[in-house]
Amino acid sequence: MRIRLERTGGFAGMRREVALDTETLPSDEARKLQEMVNAAGFFNLPEKFPLPERGADYFVYRLAIEAEGKKHTVEISEPAATPELRSLFQTLMKLGK
Amino acid sequence: MCRNKIQNIRISNVGRKAGKKPVIERIPFQCIVPPHMLKEIAKRGDPKQRELALKHLMISERIRGRREAFGEFYVATSSGAKCLNVFDAKNGQELPGVQVQDPANSTDEAVKEAFGGADATYDMYHDVFERTSIDDKGMCINSTVHYEEKYDNAFWDGRQMVYGDGDGKLFNRFTISIDVIGHELTHGVTEHEAGLAYSNQSGALNESMSDVFGSLVKQRALNQTAAGADWLIGEGLLTSDVNGKALRSMKEPGTAYDDPVLGKDPQPAHMRDYQKLSLSEDNGGVHINSGIPNRAFCITAMEIGGYSWEKTGKIWYITLRDRLRSRSNFQDAANKTYQVAGVMYGSGSKEQLAVKKGWSTVGITVKTK
Repeated sequence: MRIRLERTGGFAGMRREVALDTETLPSDEARKLQEMVNAAGFFNLPEKFPLPERGADYFVYRLAIEAEGKKHTVEISEPAATPELRSLFQTLMKLGK
Repeated sequence: MCRNKIQNIRISNVGRKAGKKPVIERIPFQCIVPPHMLKEIAKRGDPKQRELALKHLMISERIRGRREAFGEFYVATSSGAKCLNVFDAKNGQELPGVQVQDPANSTDEAVKEAFGGADATYDMYHDVFERTSIDDKGMCINSTVHYEEKYDNAFWDGRQMVYGDGDGKLFNRFTISIDVIGHELTHGVTEHEAGLAYSNQSGALNESMSDVFGSLVKQRALNQTAAGADWLIGEGLLTSDVNGKALRSMKEPGTAYDDPVLGKDPQPAHMRDYQKLSLSEDNGGVHINSGIPNRAFCITAMEIGGYSWEKTGKIWYITLRDRLRSRSNFQDAANKTYQVAGVMYGSGSKEQLAVKKGWSTVGITVKTK
């Protein structure tokens, strides 16, 4: 599973990127990520979400995943993301550090 | 003296705020009964209690007439008392979290800073711009600290301010810099006034307004003139491991940091370097292109001289409150600040010419017709 996460926005307005291939990860970490992607229902999510009507300084994410011949990209701002998707973002950002 | 000018502009501004009384209305309602209790009473009380609770809920919701009924914690104070609350998310996602008692004297730095920053911001809006809280109706200002774990952000969620602790490696806690607090609170003010749409150029203008008033809160707290201020946003927020002095520079956009991990400050200082980005990039670069109007404000304030909140701040505030709309762009902001400066200080006055110079330095020519 090849994953690329871009995070922009937030108060700091800094761009952060994480790109990884789960084949290069220890098997338990790779399995955990696979479970998180499944739990978030990633491949069934729409590609784009409407911008929140209120609020400011939230993070904006763009997540692209390629697995088993499927490729999907989702653009979503933090308030619109489900807890499962946010957990996935957090885990990926930590792996990138 | 300034009061008259501010009120005159409000009255003469026919259309947008038609029927809005210049006198601040007070909602006779106690802050100490939180809406969740009212909701319970509305559900479970006897008929009379339910009626009263519902009425109170509706009054607080009617303040601006556009909130969904039963929104959390939108309760005005009685008789204009300051209502500042701080909550602790205890590193979770739940908002607002647990309310902290006596936040002004807390031993928790983040709690104390969130309270002190909100207090200083409230005071600036009240004492300088004659505005009572975020909605100008005395709504309680709620802040949550310790949001999530090592969270590298602070935000306004449309109801309240939220602060992360930072990861400790790159970012310190987000309450550390008072202008961050003024910035977040101003998002609430903007949402209640111009309602600048949070994308592309109107979004960058929205961001700039937050930096402008955030910086003014800091300058006022430190008693700095335009010449003496550092015009930095988020000073102290980056750890000592990062090569950078702050997150943004209003005076010299693009120079705040240059770090191997975080990259270089991407802010443009002139319209020729405006970055046209997709919505998936920071909503079209709202935190990037804000450097342009930020610098216009800074140059105007330096030209006028003295304390920036006294004249430049007032010109920008009245423009935000009475002249801008949700889709306003930089050119609109330039034209309107120029007009407002003319009304307040006279056509062709030093102040009005300073506004013109501020915008022309960043590549925007004020249109007078």
